[in-house]
Amino acid sequence: MTYEALDFYDIESQLTEEEVMVRDMVRDWVEDEVIPNIEQACRDGVFPDEWRVALGEMGVLGAPLSGYECPGLSYVAYGLICQELERGDSGVRSFASVQGSLAMYPIWDFGSEEQKQKYLPGMTRGELVGCFGLTEPDYGSNPGDMITRAEDKGDHYLLNGAKMWITNGTIADLAIVWAKLDGVIRGFIVEKDDPGYSAPEMTGKHSLKASVTSELVFQDCKIPKDRILPGVEGLKGPFSCLNNARFGISWGAIGAAQACFHSAKEYALSRIQFDHPIASYQLVQNKLAWMLREITKGQLLALDLARKKDDGTWIAEQISLAKMNNVDMALEIARMARDIHGANGILDEYCIMRHMANLESVKTYEGTHDIHNLILGRHITGIQAFTRES
Amino acid sequence: MVEIAVLLKQVPDTTARITVSGDKVDEDAITSWVTSPYDEYALEAALQHKEVAGGSITAITLGPARADKVLKDAAALGVEQLVRVWQDGWEPLDSIQVQAALAVAVQASGAEYVYCGKQAADTNQGSTGPGVAEIIGAPCIVEITDFDVSGPTFTRSSATGSEKVTVAAPAVLTFSKTTTELRRPNVRGIMMAKRAQIELVGGEVGTTNVSVVRHASPAQKPPGKTFEGADSVPEVVGLLRDEAKVI
Repeated sequence: MTYEALDFYDIESQLTEEEVMVRDMVRDWVEDEVIPNIEQACRDGVFPDEWRVALGEMGVLGAPLSGYECPGLSYVAYGLICQELERGDSGVRSFASVQGSLAMYPIWDFGSEEQKQKYLPGMTRGELVGCFGLTEPDYGSNPGDMITRAEDKGDHYLLNGAKMWITNGTIADLAIVWAKLDGVIRGFIVEKDDPGYSAPEMTGKHSLKASVTSELVFQDCKIPKDRILPGVEGLKGPFSCLNNARFGISWGAIGAAQACFHSAKEYALSRIQFDHPIASYQLVQNKLAWMLREITKGQLLALDLARKKDDGTWIAEQISLAKMNNVDMALEIARMARDIHGANGILDEYCIMRHMANLESVKTYEGTHDIHNLILGRHITGIQAFTRES
Repeated sequence: MVEIAVLLKQVPDTTARITVSGDKVDEDAITSWVTSPYDEYALEAALQHKEVAGGSITAITLGPARADKVLKDAAALGVEQLVRVWQDGWEPLDSIQVQAALAVAVQASGAEYVYCGKQAADTNQGSTGPGVAEIIGAPCIVEITDFDVSGPTFTRSSATGSEKVTVAAPAVLTFSKTTTELRRPNVRGIMMAKRAQIELVGGEVGTTNVSVVRHASPAQKPPGKTFEGADSVPEVVGLLRDEAKVI
């Protein structure tokens, strides 16, 4: 059945012609290339390289960045790109999020002019893949206590430490690595052939199977002095990147939810039990109505946030709310859609379980659901509850 | 250098729900419109022709304001000039009127080659290409299934299989589905399309000789029959052979 996106509040009427064209371009690509091949990619545990090429050719990587051959699109367009990619699979959106928001953005905002010119054109074309190293095996929600260190050795820096749960790590040409230099968090650009650097792939995932997840290991990793990001110090650097990525997730989750809703609706209309389509029963209609309600609220939230991003009037807590809410509702919709599909819902003939498993990761990465609650709790009360210290 | 005109028709998406209201298709109820698929193959061939020979392409459509979208989509793929042919009060036009209006725009564009689909996905008339060719006094090669832009040469069906032909400009070429993969737009093209201007042209199209009396939906298919269990296989085979006559 042809995909027809839920648009109960006519969001489309609020989009520009350009935004609609960008959305349709990505939607068509996802429909033609991702959806027919995603289950095989998951079984094989690979992110097909032709998808990297296609994303570069479409020109959607680093969507809201301008200059250095970057697209210069609105945040609304960036959100729509994430939405359509994640309707295909969270792994595809993750690739684009990491490349654009976590790898390109810090170079674009905090890099030197030489760094921008060296990396950004190739990255927006998809010819260079980037990753982002912040999380460590023992420091996830608490990156400020990271162990990874950089030492100034006069004519070079020496990195030691390890990062974990790094999307794109093994296939990356460069990594944006956050490490402490004299006790201060700084960003460094590590290239894949730098001595002492390795990025082994993590295996055994039940989630984001079509996405490359890696460790980054730095063992006396020697990098030139011009690879430090000169424009930022402290957690502001990685958190600025995460704000953009979390924004993209708030839209991407709508895509995953739409995919599950669409499948559930079609299934409910065609599945006959007790001589009637199960869509004609009140309990199923109640579930579908709840899905419509939550997707619609999520769309309006994401659109308003995107307008704020374009206007520069946003605050980080609004991004936390949107990321947390939209992933939460998408995960619940996936579970509810599985319920509507009955036993069939566990088959890879349907997208449901794949999205559900993916969303478990999405709920956790880029700030866990609970951490975003704590961010909002601090905003409400003025009291931080991340640590026991007041 | 070659000047090419591509005729693009906006049609309901092939999966769009069509409703007939008051003996007429309710166009306002159609939520999704697209470029007619055969026209997309014509556009792809035109783009490839231009890439080899140089020159420019004018995309021409006939329709109300919503048809601007097919022109903008073409601009996102690399078409330089966009022309929409329309005048309030025209609807409905018959095929000859459509051809006349399009021919005026084609001639104004200075095109040497006119590319279009062999038929539109909504009406399936197949009359536009040959009709425009007749009006502008050009030969028309129809049902092209393959092409080589370096000639250019065009492959079409023949009584014995297929034949490859070449034709001197001016000429009209109507395309079937070709083996060529259609290109996708990219963000850079979409940015160009945003800035592209659409020229609106109207004019006299004469009176219509054909009037549509009424539209009707296809007849409902009779309900299917359900069989269960292995014991029903002989009966199913018998019905497929004797009643449906498909085996």
